[in-house]
Amino acid sequence: MNLWTQWLRPSAGFPTVQWSLLLAAATLTGHLVQRHSGLPKVVGYTLVGAIAGFLGFGGVGWPLQGVGLFLVELGVAVVLFEAGGRIPLRWFGHNPMVLVQSVAESALTWFAVYQTMLWLDLPAAVASPLALVAMAASPAVLGRVVADTRAAGLVTERAIVLVTLSSLYALTLGCAQAELIRHPDAGWIGAAGAVLLALGVSVAIGLLLALALRLALRVMSPASENTAILLLALIAAGTAIAAHLGGSAPLAALLGGILLRQSQPRPWAWPRQLGAASSLLTMLILVLVATVAAQAEWSGPVAGAALALIAARLLAKAVGVGLGNVGSGASWRQALCVNCALMPMSAISLLVASQFVVASAATGHLIAGIALPAILLMEVLGAVIATIAIHRAGESAKPWSLLVGKSEQEQP
Amino acid sequence: MSCETFHHSEALTLGVELELQLLNTHDYDLAPYAEDMLRLLCKIPLPGSVTPEITRSMIEISTGVCRNSGEVLGQLRQIRDALVKCADKLNIAVAGGGTHPFQQWHERRICGRPRFQDLSQLYGYLCKQFTVFGQHVHIGCPDADAALLMLHRMSRYIPHFIALSASSPYVQGQDTAFDSARLNSVSAFPMSGRAPCLLTWDEFSAWFDKMARTGVVNSMKDFYWDIRPKPEYGTIEIRVFDTPLSIERAAALAGYAQSLAAYLLAEQPFTPSEDDYLAYTYNRFQACRFGLDAIYVDPASGSHIPLRDHILQTLEHIAPHAASCGATDALNMLRGETEANQNDARWLRERQREEQLLAEVSRQAALRFRGAG
Repeated sequence: MNLWTQWLRPSAGFPTVQWSLLLAAATLTGHLVQRHSGLPKVVGYTLVGAIAGFLGFGGVGWPLQGVGLFLVELGVAVVLFEAGGRIPLRWFGHNPMVLVQSVAESALTWFAVYQTMLWLDLPAAVASPLALVAMAASPAVLGRVVADTRAAGLVTERAIVLVTLSSLYALTLGCAQAELIRHPDAGWIGAAGAVLLALGVSVAIGLLLALALRLALRVMSPASENTAILLLALIAAGTAIAAHLGGSAPLAALLGGILLRQSQPRPWAWPRQLGAASSLLTMLILVLVATVAAQAEWSGPVAGAALALIAARLLAKAVGVGLGNVGSGASWRQALCVNCALMPMSAISLLVASQFVVASAATGHLIAGIALPAILLMEVLGAVIATIAIHRAGESAKPWSLLVGKSEQEQP
Repeated sequence: MSCETFHHSEALTLGVELELQLLNTHDYDLAPYAEDMLRLLCKIPLPGSVTPEITRSMIEISTGVCRNSGEVLGQLRQIRDALVKCADKLNIAVAGGGTHPFQQWHERRICGRPRFQDLSQLYGYLCKQFTVFGQHVHIGCPDADAALLMLHRMSRYIPHFIALSASSPYVQGQDTAFDSARLNSVSAFPMSGRAPCLLTWDEFSAWFDKMARTGVVNSMKDFYWDIRPKPEYGTIEIRVFDTPLSIERAAALAGYAQSLAAYLLAEQPFTPSEDDYLAYTYNRFQACRFGLDAIYVDPASGSHIPLRDHILQTLEHIAPHAASCGATDALNMLRGETEANQNDARWLRERQREEQLLAEVSRQAALRFRGAG
């Protein structure tokens, strides 16, 4: 009697079922959250991911590795490639204060979080990675908030650029510092060689990605669905190769996007074509990040340190954005909204933290213990703050019922 | 509310308004940056003025009172350079063109000013669909009666203005087969069309008072006519031009309108009558649909001639008046392009045929507006 084995065909297995159901629950919750509260769908995704994580969902391990790591890197790479394409370097020539604003908010964030962690008696080897984790804002969360609110305007564009640049700094410095930690006995030359190799691989893959797409765009329309699929396929290949050669896949994709933008003045038409594929990948990484982050070991001191990190980050980004706002073309009210839109933390912070946890077994648990709760909290809270900021800046397509009252929302 | 007093202005002086597109530099869709641009521009001393328009991706620039098209061009150049500088700072682009080729009307946001909010309440989606971009030319008139005479005489040349300025072949991502599809958006408004054929200000004022008593209108601003008197400035305002892709063409069109006005004022070639309007709507449609390839029906003789030929004949006929207005160069430019059967609508179609991407067409239009394309 082999009826049972004949009926039960080999399949993708239980993890696929788990993930599929989790994503189904996340997308349903996201929809309901937005429909009934006006909050971004991201909040629903994060809540479902966090609950799954608290309940011990074992679909992905910590530190990130294997398929889980690849999926996060791929999702982040797609988001960063698009974000990199929105950075015209020519703009910084016309408005250098935007670059000043970016460097100021990132540098101050690093410094403030580093000093706060030292003040909490944490060793420098923990404080420094945590400062880098805090430096990065989340282009994935901001991108979803912008898509949900259909936002457009100065605050939205400025926030996207600042978030992308903070990711660039965090990924570059994180990659370099992780290499230094991995080679403690290599001496300066050996350590510098390892850092240059890791960054060099990322730059080379970014360059190849940009080159391949530039060649493809000579014969393909950027508005075609096939070009979007080609883009996804090339980013996936780049992600796998970067990981294999020891580079940073997200950094490579980000650089690829920036390089392609500079070499290709034609408008960036394919994000509309990426559509559902990009949305699915982003949702996947947001759920996955929440699931992983919720697996942290929570305790009073850890929660206190995480809250201190968040407070220092918030303050430092506000000061940095404010300092760079003078002469940048934005009003003070807009600067405040931009600052709020920089609050979300998510996959990039998680990737940076994961790098350090892998690189150093001794300090890894301390870094993860503080970073993961902070990331979880700021994925959900940051999304809410960013949404309010975009509504307050008047850049969403419709007013938000929680802010303006139901009657006004229903007006044409 | 009675009709305003017609103020004095110097005959044949010029004023030009251009409604312009604000574009993001990412995918070259419209971008809601009007308030940000105004905030930056108010710090730069400029001739004329810069004001918001009905939706937040539009901005309107106006020259001061000018004596000729050269002066118009000088002022437009000064304002254009300031616009481009501010746009660069905000990482956006500014472009001409009567429509944005692929914007979706429902994504537009109404400007926050009370007048625009009121219009939005009244007209609903028509206001968002009114995200179209025109050039208005004011011409100074010696007195109110002369203004009405000039207005109705000028109506014979409305097809000229439409065909020469046409720059709106694409709407919502589609080729409309029109050279100027913009005017179809204007036609949806109940107070659009043409002014009643009344030739004295007294008659016009009486008619306006009757209209005002119905509560349908409150001021001249409520009429979206192709040409309307502007008593506040002592001018007539020609409103059928699409915003051209370059300020040079905008100034040339103003020079043509001024030269025609000089001819009409000096020679008083005919007395306008209601019969002038028998073929008006048909001529207007022909010019919108076919541009320079349109057929022109002469309202006096009823004869059908190619619009291009009628424009070239008119340019020849008014050349002495153009010379006295200092508009010879402007008319030479228009004559050259008319002979070559070229207008901005044709340029946009050629770019699209080459690029197969409307966003790229918009990018190149923005380069052309800044004088780099």
